Amino acid sequence: MRRLVSVVLVVFFAFLMMSRFLESGFFVNELSSNYYIFNSYTEVGSKNIVTGIYLDYRLLDSIFEAGILLVSVAGVIFMSKKDENVKR
Amino acid sequence: MKDSTILKSMSHFIYPFVILYGFYITIGGDLTSGGGFQGGAIIATGLLLMTFFSDVKFNLTKLNKIEKLLFLFIITVSVISLFTKGHAFTNPFSENKRIFLITLNLALGFKVAVGLVNIFESFLEEGDPF
Repeated sequence: MRRLVSVVLVVFFAFLMMSRFLESGFFVNELSSNYYIFNSYTEVGSKNIVTGIYLDYRLLDSIFEAGILLVSVAGVIFMSKKDENVKR
Repeated sequence: MKDSTILKSMSHFIYPFVILYGFYITIGGDLTSGGGFQGGAIIATGLLLMTFFSDVKFNLTKLNKIEKLLFLFIITVSVISLFTKGHAFTNPFSENKRIFLITLNLALGFKVAVGLVNIFESFLEEGDPF
């Protein structure tokens, strides 16, 4: 019963998202992507636009991405230790 | 860990090339596809291959300290532009911009590699459950 309910919910949400996507008529706003394509080499100096974005335009977000890795490593080490070895 | 001669000899043969390829991907991140995160994962793979054929042990607390210091280094390098350009989190140089990109890519790559090695080493230290 629970499995049936979850399947129905998944299908319903997939239908909702697909209908929203089809309503928009596949229109994609190209303003920012065109800006990156034409200006990133002169502003950032990187031939790879992805590197230009994550090391210059969105550097703050990259720092927090690295921070998330740090926190998750600390969490895994804490969880994987045996209980008698944990210092209190 | 189970012993396998093929795994041992092949990992002994291939690990320096894997580490070299990881450095290539990390340093050339601003010219070709790649970057710090992907190259760091490859460097971590090369370092983990060392654990298959030798008794090398990575110290967990030391690795944790190195990762924290690299994180602080990334933050300080990205804040330098506050003094040269007036706003933080951008490139501090107006020419030779690749220096900044390569420095940050290398720092990010080392940080990711140290983190992944740290996770694997903590599982190894836990021991064989069987």
